[in-house]
Amino acid sequence: MEQDMNEQELKNKLSQIEDKLTGSEQPLKNRIYLSCESENAYEVNKFLFEQVPLRFVIATGIDSDSCFEILYHYAYDPLSYVVTLKAFIRDRENPSIQSIAPFLPAAEWIEREIHDTLGIDIKNHPNLRRLVLADDWPEGVYPLRKEERK
Amino acid sequence: MKKSPWVFHVNTGACNNCDIEIVDLLTPRCDVERLGVKLVGSPRHADALLVTGIGTRQAMPRLLEVYRQTPKPCVVFLIGACACGTGIFKDAYHGAGPIDNVLKQEDPNAIIAYVPGCPPKPEAMISGVVKALSTL
Repeated sequence: MEQDMNEQELKNKLSQIEDKLTGSEQPLKNRIYLSCESENAYEVNKFLFEQVPLRFVIATGIDSDSCFEILYHYAYDPLSYVVTLKAFIRDRENPSIQSIAPFLPAAEWIEREIHDTLGIDIKNHPNLRRLVLADDWPEGVYPLRKEERK
Repeated sequence: MKKSPWVFHVNTGACNNCDIEIVDLLTPRCDVERLGVKLVGSPRHADALLVTGIGTRQAMPRLLEVYRQTPKPCVVFLIGACACGTGIFKDAYHGAGPIDNVLKQEDPNAIIAYVPGCPPKPEAMISGVVKALSTL
């Protein structure tokens, strides 16, 4: 069993992956936001989950006009910290990101849901079948994209 | 229809809150089985359907299939704000309702009773059942 970290040790640990990040902020005492580009998301997630290690909570997919974002939320329970990694996907035409399910099976379903509703191609996913949309839902229509909602 | 209505419960995309209240009907506080209202496991045994949820695109064909298999005459109770008129999910991309419109297209003579609420109290459901059965 690993020793619990204190706040400084957690921050030191997180700073080891700094060169893959594009930003980091802490708006609240126990809330940390890290950002990175989609190409580095796999590596940063693997670091957060296996090296820190943090507990994976959930991921969120967002369509924010100029790009897509996937937010990976992690918790560090001994300190009640929530660490969110924002991965930016700049290519709106063919959005894609590396799957984290190969080393983190709990992310499998949320990645399938993000694939269904936002149409982000999750590369190297073990089982990218339809999860939340109806069986007769047309291919290529992504209900949570902003252009669909106009 | 005046004696002991047997009911079948259909969830068409509800958040489970109405469903819990339906189960609450059977617990000792309300205990609707003393009034002859019995939850059954097959629509073919039912006199009434208790429908919850907005009627999603995936669930609507199943609901219609259940309705076709229910012996007529049967009463369809729409339980909760979502079933009565899609509620806060109006214009949701995945909704195929409102349920009453779709049921009327399937069977223009469908007998539909509405029990609104989010979720409706068990007392409201009992009152709805009594009112519906006494008007038939």
